[in-house]
Formats: sequence, C-alpha cells, structure tokens
Amino acid sequence: MSMVTATRQEMMYCPGCSHAAVLEQLGAGLDRLGLPPEQVCLVSDIGCIGTADRYFACHTFHGLHGRSVTYAEAIKRCRPDLLVLVLIGDGGCGIGTAHLVHTARRGVGVKVFVCNNFNFGMTGGQHSPTTPAGGVTATTPTGAGDRPLDVCQLVIASGGAFVARCSAFDRNLPEMIDATLRAPGFALLDIWELCTAYYMPTNKLNPPKLVEMSRELGMPFGILKNEPARTDGRTAAALDADTGPAVARPGSPPTPLSTDRPRFDVRSGLRWPQRVEIALAGSAGERIRSAAGVIGEILVAAGLQVAQLDDYPITVRKGFSLSNLIVARQPIRYTGLRTPELVIIQSEDGLRRFGSLAELPPQTLVIVNDELTWESTPARVQPVTLAPLIRQVERANVALALLAHGLIQCGWITAEALRNLADATLKGRFREANLRAIEAGVTLESSPAARS
Amino acid sequence: MAEFITGNQAVVRGALRAGCNYIAGYPITPASSILNDMIRAFADGRGIAVQVEDEIAAMGQCVAAAMCGARPMTATSGPGLSLLSENIGFAQMVEAPVVIVDCQRMGPATGGATTTGEGDVLFARHVTAGGYPLPVLAATDAVSAYRLTYNAFQIAEELRTPVIVLLSKDISSTRQTVDLENVRLLPARQRRPAPPDRPFRPYEVGELAEVPAFAPVGGPQRVRVTGSIHDACGLLTTDRREIARKLAHLNAKIAAAAERLEDVDLDLDPHAQVLVVSYGLPDGAVRDAVDELRAAGIRVSRLTLYSLWPVPQRAIRAAAEGVRHVLVPELNIGLYADVVRQVLPGVHIESLTRYDGGLIAPRTIRERVCNLLNGCNGPGGQAA
Repeated sequence: MSMVTATRQEMMYCPGCSHAAVLEQLGAGLDRLGLPPEQVCLVSDIGCIGTADRYFACHTFHGLHGRSVTYAEAIKRCRPDLLVLVLIGDGGCGIGTAHLVHTARRGVGVKVFVCNNFNFGMTGGQHSPTTPAGGVTATTPTGAGDRPLDVCQLVIASGGAFVARCSAFDRNLPEMIDATLRAPGFALLDIWELCTAYYMPTNKLNPPKLVEMSRELGMPFGILKNEPARTDGRTAAALDADTGPAVARPGSPPTPLSTDRPRFDVRSGLRWPQRVEIALAGSAGERIRSAAGVIGEILVAAGLQVAQLDDYPITVRKGFSLSNLIVARQPIRYTGLRTPELVIIQSEDGLRRFGSLAELPPQTLVIVNDELTWESTPARVQPVTLAPLIRQVERANVALALLAHGLIQCGWITAEALRNLADATLKGRFREANLRAIEAGVTLESSPAARS
Repeated sequence: MAEFITGNQAVVRGALRAGCNYIAGYPITPASSILNDMIRAFADGRGIAVQVEDEIAAMGQCVAAAMCGARPMTATSGPGLSLLSENIGFAQMVEAPVVIVDCQRMGPATGGATTTGEGDVLFARHVTAGGYPLPVLAATDAVSAYRLTYNAFQIAEELRTPVIVLLSKDISSTRQTVDLENVRLLPARQRRPAPPDRPFRPYEVGELAEVPAFAPVGGPQRVRVTGSIHDACGLLTTDRREIARKLAHLNAKIAAAAERLEDVDLDLDPHAQVLVVSYGLPDGAVRDAVDELRAAGIRVSRLTLYSLWPVPQRAIRAAAEGVRHVLVPELNIGLYADVVRQVLPGVHIESLTRYDGGLIAPRTIRERVCNLLNGCNGPGGQAA
C-alpha cells in the first residue's frame, strides 16, 4: 500500500499548485523507505499544505498554525521509534519560528518539510516571512520591503543536523526527500513552490525564475548542512537517535516519592501553646525563609501543625524577605498573621516591610537588631547586637539563631528539647551549619527585654 | 505521616501518584518549582520532562504526548495561561487529557509575580475560543492541591479533556503540615481502549455524552488527530450533521458529568441566615471565621467549592436553602460572586473582595457577616 492515498488530481489543491506534486514525491519517498504506516506519523498545521494529512495512510496529527513542530517533538520524545515528519508552510515558519529554532537546538530527530510558496495562500495571498523584497501580495501591494527569512540559515544556526533547499521542479527532488527522511537528528528541507492562485500570477513567477531568485537572494539550492547527529550532550544522544528510551506508558505503576522520614513524638520540654504566630523580617540573603523552614520542619516532626507564608520581591538577592510562621496544636486554616507573639527584625528592609511596631500588644516579644531605629511600642523589645553572632555562625545563619533564641525566650520549648529535635530531624548539606546556628541561639546571652 | 511541604510540592506529589509521565513547561513565578521538581523526579527515566521555549510549545507538547498515551501536565501562572490558550482549545477539539496547573498571581499582565491573587477563575473556564466547557478545580491549601491534582488526572482520563487546577501564590509557596496518606482520592481512571479487532474510528461515539475510545498515536491502529472540525474518522468535515454532533458531544460529555464533578465541603447549620461560599485561599479564613461566629452564637453555614466549573449548582442551591444572604469572599474583583448570583436568583449575594496581594482576614469575614445580620455582638472586636 502506498503512503499517499490520493492522486495529484484528487487532491484539493488549485490547478498547478506545487503542493500536490511535492506530496506525491514525498509519498514515493516514504514508499521507498518501506516503513509500515504504523511506524510513521505525519504532523501538519495550518495553511494549504496543512490539509494534506487526509491523503496519508500513516498516523496523522493536524494541529494549530505553526505549532506542528511542538507536536512532532513530543511525539518523537514519546515514541523515538517512529518516523515523525512535519509538513509546514512558510507562514507556519513565521508564526512558529521559535519552535523551529528550539526543537532544532534540542536536537530532536523530526524531519521537517517546508512547503514554501512565498505567501499565505489560504487566507488570500498576503505576504509571508519568506516573501522576497519586491514581492507583490495582498498586503504588500507596492512590493514587499522586508528581507525574506532564510529558513535554512536559521535552522543551521540553531543546530539542525541536516538542512537542504530545492525547488518543487528540481529533477533531484526525490533524492533530496530521501536524504531528509534518512538524515539522523533534526532535518529540514526547504522546498520552493509556486502558488498558482496568488503569488505566481502577480509576480510572474515560473520554475526557471525560482532558480534565478535563489541566486539573487543568496539562498542556494542543495544540501547546506549534513552532519552526523550530535552525540555530545547527555540528552541529545537519546533524542538524536531514531530509537531511544520510550516514555513510561500509562498504566505503569507510579512510583511515589519517598516519604520515609523520621517521626517523633512530642517530647517533654515542648510546652507549645495552642497557637503561636511568629514574624521574621529581614533582607534577601539573610536566609530568613530558610530559618523559618528549618524550625518549621523541626516542629512538624515534633507533631505540631505549622504554616509558613513568605513575602519577598521577585529579585531574590535584594530587598526585603519576610516569613510568617504559625505553629499550632490544631490544623491551621488561615495562614495570615493575626497577632504575632514573636517578632524578629533583622534589618532595615525587614523593619520597613513589617510595618509599625506600635500596634503590637504588650505580650509580644520583639527581638531586634540593635543597630536599627524603631518606634516606641507597647511590646517587649529585646535589642540584640549581631556582630558577635555573625562571628560565631556567619551572617547567613543569624536568622536561624535569632529564631531559636526567640522560641526559648518565649518559653515554648526548652533548650534541650530544641537541641534534641534539631539533631534528630535535620538532614542534608546544611545540617551542621543549622545545628550550630540553633546552638548559638539557644546559648545567646540576652539582656532582659525592655519596653521601649 | 506529617510532612511540611508547599502547595507546589503537593501538586508534584499528586501528579506522580496519578502516574503523570510527561511534563513540558516554561518557568514562571510562582509555578516554577513544579517544573524543577518534576524534572528531578523524572531523572530516573520514569517520565519525560522538557523545559520548552514558551507556553505555546508546552501545551502543544502536552496535547501530542497525551495522544501518544502519556499522562501529561504543565504548570504555569496567569501570563502563561494566556499563551497556553490556543492549544487548550486544540486539546478540547482532539479530546486530549491534559492537566494544567495555574498557580495564580496578581494580574493583569505581569501584575505581581510574587504577589497572590485569584483572578483567573473565569479566565480558566473561558480560556479558549468556542466556549466549550472544561473542568476547573480550585485548591484551598497544600492538601487539597495534592488531592485535586491527583483527581484532575482521573477526570482528564475519564472525560478526555483538559482540566485546570487553580492554586495561588500563597498556596503554591506556603509550606504547611500535611498528611497525604489519609487523603481520600477519586478511583483511578484510564481512557477506554479501542477494540483491537476492527479499524479504529478515533471519534466514534454512541450517545452524545459518550467519551470516544482511545488508541495511541504510534500504536498498531492508525490514528487521525485533527484540530479541524471532524467526523468520526478524524477527517475534516463540512457536513453540518457531523459538525453539530461533534460539538454537541464536546458540550454533552462535560455537562453529563457535571453533578459527578461537584467537589464541595458543606458545613451546614439548618437555621443559618447567612451562607459563606468560599474557594481558594480565603477558605482558611472563612473556616476560622465561621467557628468564631458560632462560638459567639451566630448561625452561619459554610460551603467550600473545590470544583468551580462546571458550576456545582446542585450543592450551591442545597446549601443556600432558607438563607437570606450569601457571602462570597474572593481575591479578585468579585468574579465568582456573579456566578453564584446566577445560580441563586432572588437571594442576596454579598461580594467581599481583596486584590492588593493581602489575605482576607477572619475578622473581615466576621464583620461582614455581622453587618448582613444588622449587627451582632460577636467577637468582631478581636484582632484579625
């Protein structure tokens, strides 16, 4: 059985349109390749050439304008054993330029056939990205003024493995098609065609003039790049090959992520109230959010409910960094702060973002960098000199030390319980640094908190 | 077992549990960590992860992967959902099961990348041309983000449709204590396989609401997939009967499942005069406020919506039975309150909105309920 199931005459193309001839040749090329139709997927999109899917006996996938390359990439990734071809027009190469560039760059082994007739035929002969300068179209009535896109150079620059150009009237069109189908890796053949409905009549184009145009534009016919498939990159090796690892099929048992983490009973020394709210306010880089996260993990392991809501600008290395930590015995539903019992202000950025201390109630403990200037507040204020802490644990761990210190000061947990829980819970490459910071906070000498 | 994870981590856990094996995505705050974590989870080859050039490609890849038999997902935020739009329509037309996670942030445009907002609740439903329905779920916290992501895969498989799961920044990146082992999930679903013994007609259905049988692109049965209006064979058609049948089917398969898709939590006081309908991030504050109001002797009901589209009309009507006022707190300009108004003509629907990036506090909800009842001597004077 032939891969193309319609004759030129049966196809829905205008008389003389090159598409029918090219499809016939592509079908012949596929037949020469001899793959069963189930091993081939033809992907097309919008434009006259996009309607060709119905003439093919293989799997067909017809999508949206210029997006065929995105579909083809996913199909190739899921089924590296399939031959995945793309039929795309010059319009599709414009609206989908990014996809051509990046799928070529990623070295995915799809075979792209550009049916390039220099205008949008389906919508009434408007100019396309490949319309040569001077080309008269419905939207360039006095002649196109822009440089035409050289699809081949674009794909060469993007890392396509095989790139070639020919015209639909070239005697070697079958060889060019064969070479493209057989090329490993990302391959593209730019086929110059005649649109007999629009571009050809208004621009008096004919087959010999296509050759002339190729010379004038400096866009030569022939094989322009033919490289072995990339094998340098880790992913490229798998993707270039026309066979490779298959996607895990649906129905294969999902493997849940490990949930194997230690669990601790609430230890003696944990005198946690029903619900407490803590606000940490500092600057980017002070690991405010990490400090809240470390204490959060420890307290979750101790059987408490924790919510950590962060506030930070998009520039993660500059500006304020706030963390709200709510720790309760019951599930936490509202994750915003009502009235924090413990407020830690490490920097000017943090103080400004946190807002007024004046509205805090008398029972709130505020631990504040003593270099800052803060307004009068009914809350208990404990100024801390950071310099010795920084020497002891490095600046990046000060927030965790202050937070540990605050938990002890508030009487919610004993020093011993915090040490034990931290030792049993903390993992990963920051374990030692975090343990040291907690120890520094636990042993931090503090002047008694005073009303300011 | 208790763990301390973010809403985005919960999404990843739900997706992996559901057998997600393809992710294509483009980085965007506050969704990026989902792509990061999925890439790490798939490093062992159990799935395919691609960081693509834009969200158009992300959704394009997801649709194609779905038609190859994979269970794909993409995760984005409002600006990215805008770009997913055209291929979400494609997914509807070709009936591709794809899960789309939208970690909402303040909009429009760039808005506030690290600032919360829940303004995509209508956009999600109407995200694509044509007006055909797709299910939209909304998480309130990390646990529901896990559950709804898992469920979204089952719904997508069963109905062969894109499904959108909404989070927002302060769900996505907020860490919470969760216990995922005891969460009740939908039964696992798979697409109905095409009978292998006869030629495959990819879009053949009996009843209008029937979901067509599936055979993967690349399988032994040849498959035709097209975004153009098509007949049962997957070939472009101009036959009006075929056209009407296909489009009525796209509507009917979701409409017929509407009641089954209703996912709500009702906390009913049969004597309540006020019902609070909540979804998304404000739900936590609503739960606190309702408890506090009741402690003060005020009768109030709560209905939490986890499914926003199709509109859970039956649940909303049942919950509103006998109430005089319905309060709808939202982190947008009052978008879903209008939807509730259409479901409950004749009932006073009060919209409570906030869209400056802050949360709605329990106190605000309590005060508004009290105002609706012409004042109440509740705990309205307390902080927050």
